[in-house]
Amino acid sequence: MHFRFVSRSSTSLRRRHPLHCSGEESLAQPATMAEAASAEEAAPLHPGLPDEIFIWEVLVRLPPKALLRCRAVCRVWRRATSARDFLLAHHACQPALPLLYVYNIESLDIIPFDRRAGAAADDQLRPVARLGQGPFRAIASCDGLLVFAMSDCRFSLCNPATRQYARLPVPPGFVPLGMYSRSPTGEYRLLLHRFPTGPAPDAQGGSYVLVLGSGQPPRSIGCPDARELAFSLSFLFRGGLHWHKEQNERIVVFDTTTELFRHMRVPVVSRCTNLFEMDGMLGVSSFNYAAATIDIWMAQDYTSEVWCNKYHIELPIAKLTTRFGRFNTHGFGVVASSDGHLLMLLKFSDWLLQVDMDGKLVASFHCKGLAYTRFWLKQTLVSHTFFPALERYVVNAKPFI
Amino acid sequence: MATREAGKKMIMLKSPDGMEFEVEEAVAMESQTIRKMIEDDCADTAILIPNINSKILSRVIEYCNKHVPTTGATGAAASDTVAPAALAEDLKIWDAEFIKVNRATRFNLIQAASYLNIKGLLDLTSQTTIDTISDNSLEEIRSFLSTKNDYLPEEEQTIRRENQWAFQ
Repeated sequence: MHFRFVSRSSTSLRRRHPLHCSGEESLAQPATMAEAASAEEAAPLHPGLPDEIFIWEVLVRLPPKALLRCRAVCRVWRRATSARDFLLAHHACQPALPLLYVYNIESLDIIPFDRRAGAAADDQLRPVARLGQGPFRAIASCDGLLVFAMSDCRFSLCNPATRQYARLPVPPGFVPLGMYSRSPTGEYRLLLHRFPTGPAPDAQGGSYVLVLGSGQPPRSIGCPDARELAFSLSFLFRGGLHWHKEQNERIVVFDTTTELFRHMRVPVVSRCTNLFEMDGMLGVSSFNYAAATIDIWMAQDYTSEVWCNKYHIELPIAKLTTRFGRFNTHGFGVVASSDGHLLMLLKFSDWLLQVDMDGKLVASFHCKGLAYTRFWLKQTLVSHTFFPALERYVVNAKPFI
Repeated sequence: MATREAGKKMIMLKSPDGMEFEVEEAVAMESQTIRKMIEDDCADTAILIPNINSKILSRVIEYCNKHVPTTGATGAAASDTVAPAALAEDLKIWDAEFIKVNRATRFNLIQAASYLNIKGLLDLTSQTTIDTISDNSLEEIRSFLSTKNDYLPEEEQTIRRENQWAFQ
């Protein structure tokens, strides 16, 4: 122990004022404590805890499904858990979890893969929603919203936590490259690529921005050479959409504030790369199939483009193949779990395997049709005004099953 | 006077019931609230923790002592020599023991962790209540928290219908 006891006189509780300097300091309530805690009801929300602590420290951490159920406990709980600022704080508390699918013949399960300590084994592969009318393929994930590409070349938006679903107003010939919330207004936008359809000026290809809820058609921002980005998935990090260029020591970045493209250097030349985030740092994993190795690079200094080779992992592919069946080379991947530990997922036949940074098997999940995406899902119950205005908008109806 | 280890800066924390705790600065800085004060040069003298009694404050300090990243003389993290997985496992066992307290103490710890902004301690102390709410029926939650159902039956049905999938 590194402390000692000395007697002192008492003082009264002081709350909710900003920290300030003086000879003897008094600690204030953290500024995040919002004013929404209701003083109007005499009965406390929770015996033993002040309402604002119960709301802003306990309820705010509930899983989305449990929070929705809580609204039926009593009126005060419903009011407290429906306020927009509460829901934004709730979203911020949710872990960003690797997004998995289970494909069945006629449906698709959306699974946030919860490998955090404390998550019950049964909950680790529990679907948050099931969609029928497949096939679907997620092509972007942003603030708990998923963009799906449909088999009819149309695109849809889905919030699996609120079971909202609608068609996106992406005109034919355009493909979403990514979705982002633009600061400072927070409006949601899609970056689109348009394939050229002819030599006429209005048939030129290039990059476009579509503002959701604006009712406006996509606006051209030039940059016709973004074509190749339409064939790889973007990764949203620090307000930028990132793509690693195949077999090229470069990452293409779309700055979502300036809406301009730029490049950054990365010391990785491989076809099989994967971008991820850990501890606030951008990471790249690079898979060498012939050698059965994975290298993990982290951008120690993102602005100066300083990278370090954090791990070199030799995968016991032969040993795992004997035990779990054929290795799905399309199924390599590195993802970061929410509590700051890297986890790596490998797909063998009907098995999803998790290995550690020494290449040792940590966990195995047997599930037919289980596949993972390169996206994270950070569930949200925040409602967006643009969503109900979209075409074919539904809540908890087909295609949800 | 506690033994001061050479080169380690100490901070004095005071509880309202008249206790003073001399704590290593690094340990105190597990609290983001205290960290901000130290970084803003506001902590030259003692820091008064107004609403946390000495019993709870000593437990909070015990938690911070255990969770502070230990550093050697060169500043290299001790986790370089101890396997991080073993260290994490040890902390998990320690946390599980630490949280074996009665309900009143747990609520006091939640409040303290909230005031002092110690994320790990908040996660640990609020999890039991979160599990209770997540795992039980509405009736059980109401009974556990002595909360009265003030909905009319048809109102409750409407709310249940609005979020039907959450009740499946």
